[in-house]
This record gives sequence, C-alpha cells and structure tokens, in this order.
Amino acid sequence: MKKLTYFPGCSAHGTSEEFDSTLKLVLKTLDVVLEDIPDWNCCGATSAHVMTENLAYALPMRNLVLAEKLENTTMGIACASCYQRMKVTKVHMDENPELAKRINSTVVEDGTYHGSVEIKSMLQYAYEDIGLETIKSKVTKPLTGLKVACYYGCLLTRPKNITHFDSPEYPVSMDQICEALGATATDFDFKTECCGASFSISNTEVVESLSGKILEMAKESGAHAIVVACPLCQSNLDMRQPDIEKLQGVKYGIPVFYFTQLMALAFGYPIDQLKFPKHIIPVEGALANIGKVDPSAEKTKKTTKAVKAESEVQ
Amino acid sequence: MITLGTQGKNTFLEAVNEKSGANVLECYQCGKCVGTCPVSQYMDFPPREIMQMIKLGLKNESYMANSHWFCLTCSACSGRCPREIDIPAVMEAVRHLAIEENYLNTSTKVKEIRKFHEIFLSMIKRYGRNYELRMMAEFNIRTRNLFKDMHLAPKALLKGKIPLGVKPLKSAKAIRRMYAIAEKLEKKK
Repeated sequence: MKKLTYFPGCSAHGTSEEFDSTLKLVLKTLDVVLEDIPDWNCCGATSAHVMTENLAYALPMRNLVLAEKLENTTMGIACASCYQRMKVTKVHMDENPELAKRINSTVVEDGTYHGSVEIKSMLQYAYEDIGLETIKSKVTKPLTGLKVACYYGCLLTRPKNITHFDSPEYPVSMDQICEALGATATDFDFKTECCGASFSISNTEVVESLSGKILEMAKESGAHAIVVACPLCQSNLDMRQPDIEKLQGVKYGIPVFYFTQLMALAFGYPIDQLKFPKHIIPVEGALANIGKVDPSAEKTKKTTKAVKAESEVQ
Repeated sequence: MITLGTQGKNTFLEAVNEKSGANVLECYQCGKCVGTCPVSQYMDFPPREIMQMIKLGLKNESYMANSHWFCLTCSACSGRCPREIDIPAVMEAVRHLAIEENYLNTSTKVKEIRKFHEIFLSMIKRYGRNYELRMMAEFNIRTRNLFKDMHLAPKALLKGKIPLGVKPLKSAKAIRRMYAIAEKLEKKK
C-alpha cells in the first residue's frame, strides 16, 4: 500500500466531483491511499495571482505548510489550476528563501515552510509513480474501439521550468495512459491550446471561441470523446458545448471525460459509479464504440508512438 | 512626445524587470508571442507591442492597456519565445503595478474581469474556499447582468454540477489573518 497526500481543491466538491470520486476508485484498485490535507484552503486560482502577489503565494503556502505535517513525501493534486499555483509557489519559494520567509509570515501560526513535499498533478502521479505497466495490468474491460482526443490544456505541462513534466507543446502521457486502457488516442493538434479557463464567467465569449476551436479539432481528429485532467477544461468544453454549437451552427455532441473515469471504466467498475449523469453532453454514444473494431485504429496508434519516439530524440 | 532613454533612467522598465524577474530588454520583437497568444486579438496592444512599450518607458499606456487583463497566463508565448522571456510574468508585473498605482482601465470588459477576481477573492476570505454558486450570483448582480448563464442553471443545479452550499474551513480565522497580513505587506512595499 502506498500513501499519498491529497489536495482535492474546491471544485472537487462541486463542478468536478466526478473527477474526485473516480480518482478514488482508481487509486483503490492501485492500492494507493489518499490522505487529505487537514482543513485545506482554496489555492487562490485563478484570481489571487491576477490581483496581488502576496496572497497568490500565501494561499498555497498554508496548504504546503499543512501538507508537511503529514508524513508523505509527495502531494497529488487533482485540479490543474491548483496544481499550477501550488507548484509555482513551491518553485519560487525554493529559489528565493527571502521571499519564502516573507510569505511564511502570513501563515506562520499554521507552521513553518521547509519545502519538503514534492508536488505532482494526478496525471503525473499516474504516469510516473504508478506507471503504464501497472495500469495495463489492472485493465479488465479494455476500451478497444474508443477513439479519444487527449486534451491537456495549458497548466499541466507549462511552463516547463515549473512543471518539469511531459512536453509543453505535444504531451503524450495521457495518450499513453488511454492506450494502456485499450482506447486509441487520436493525433490531436490542440492538446495544449488554452480553453479560456478563468474567463468562463467573466468573459464567456472568449471561452466559447477558444473552446470551440478545441472541439472542432477534436472532432476533426476522429475522436469519439475528449479526455481531460482539469476541472476548468471539462466544464468549459462540456457545459458550454451546447452554446458553442449554437454559435457555430455545428453539432459536436462530443462528451468530455476525466481520464480517471475512463480508468475506472477499464478497471471494471460498474457504470453507475462513474458519475456519467453529471455530464451535460451524454456519453452513451461515445461509449457504444467500445468493442467495435476499427481498421483505421492501428494506423492512428502508430502515429502517437512515432511522435513519442520523436519527442524522446529531442 | 516619446523620448528614448536619453533623458536618464527608464524607471518603468526597471520596475517591471524587478517585479517579473524577466529582462524585457532581451525582446527582439520577433512577434512569435503574438502568433501564439490565444487572446491577442482581444488586446489593445498584443504582447510584442507591450514589450516594446515597456522598453520605451510608456508607463501610462502600458497600465491603461487591456492586454494584461486579458492575459490568461497560459504560458504558450513564453514556451515559444526564442529569448525565453517569461512574458506572462511581465504581464502580471504590469497589472500588479497598475493596481498598486491605481490606474483603472474603465472599459466594460476589463471592469467585469476585475470584478470577477475581486468577488472570487472575497469568497475565499469569507469561507476559505470558493462558493461557486454565490460567486456566480454576485457576479451577475454586480455587473447588472442578472440573466447571464441562467439557461445553464437548471441543468447544472439538477445534475449537482454546482452545489448549493460550501463547507467553510474550520480555521476560517487563519485565512482572515492571512489576508490581513498580506494586505499589510502590500502597503509596506
């Protein structure tokens, strides 16, 4: 049994509850136990860093300080925005002890910051710490026939000097996880384009335009579904999809899964535990492709592998 | 009149460099950031022009531009910048300086973006976590746009996509204390 410190983030109790609950199912199969940071607070994403430097560091700092009180060396974060803010804080604090001291003074009653806990997104944890072989070994219902466009968004792999994970331009970790589950990852060019993220409420037109392009490219890549690892990406692509369709005069009907939902499905969990009714775009059409053999699938698979080989050479 | 650096120091450039940790002078105006930026078409001045404006010491113009408010910090530009300049950090530095020095861009869009962030931060101050439903409601009320996204509400609420409440922190005091100290630090600078 492995233990992992867990930062769920605000959306885990709301918009991305299905991410949180399927993540827990998946980790149960993989024998990983999550330990929540006790009484964690919002990391401030994405507003604190827009408005003020001190709060942008102080809010994540309190969680980092609390996380150090647990015994685990690594912290896993579900939400990509939370992951980004916590990682930025850690990297900047580690680079600049003077700043770390100043920020620590805002939460000093909660503890002293040492920077001893490593921070990973759940995607990174699944890819690096659990590994493709282990994931593959737990698959009981392979997702053969399902074609997915893996969408990473901006925050999981960028900026490179903060995340140190995968490629900032054409990442492949989620693609390989999906392929380990038996699905086929399509050659999708908009993997790391921005969905509009925090403008979801304050600047909806921008989100509809940016997310619209992502949906268009995903459809063009031949995918039945989009797979994400970020609550904001999921809600922008799923909840706003009907409005985007109206705006563009196109019907996409492309469901947006969390990668943990697909993992849980392939690990054999019954469908009623996967929270599919929470999706705005129905998932049944895409899931009906599982089990159907597609002659073009082999070809797409090779493309992804070739790209991975290429990125390794670089 | 624009004066080019001959009349002494470009204090604006120095302030931006110090705050961002980047060196804006390294920009050689290739424009790759503009082509990469997903929102450059919405900006008064795209990132490349802002960089040049900082080099020229055009403080007022940089502060009043909507560019730094539209920047999504997606870091696509800095990933492709051949000079490896942290452009989002530069945008953030300009925005923070503009806020500190009370330069207010009064366009409706910028006001809405700013209002959203202020409401978000007030939610955290009050509950320690984000209360999504209340945040959306307050945003609609305070931007006088009551029916924004209302057509999404029935489905989102029924499906439990947006919960009705929030579980506040046990140590909500710790957050308020943090806010108070952070605000004090802000004033000291």
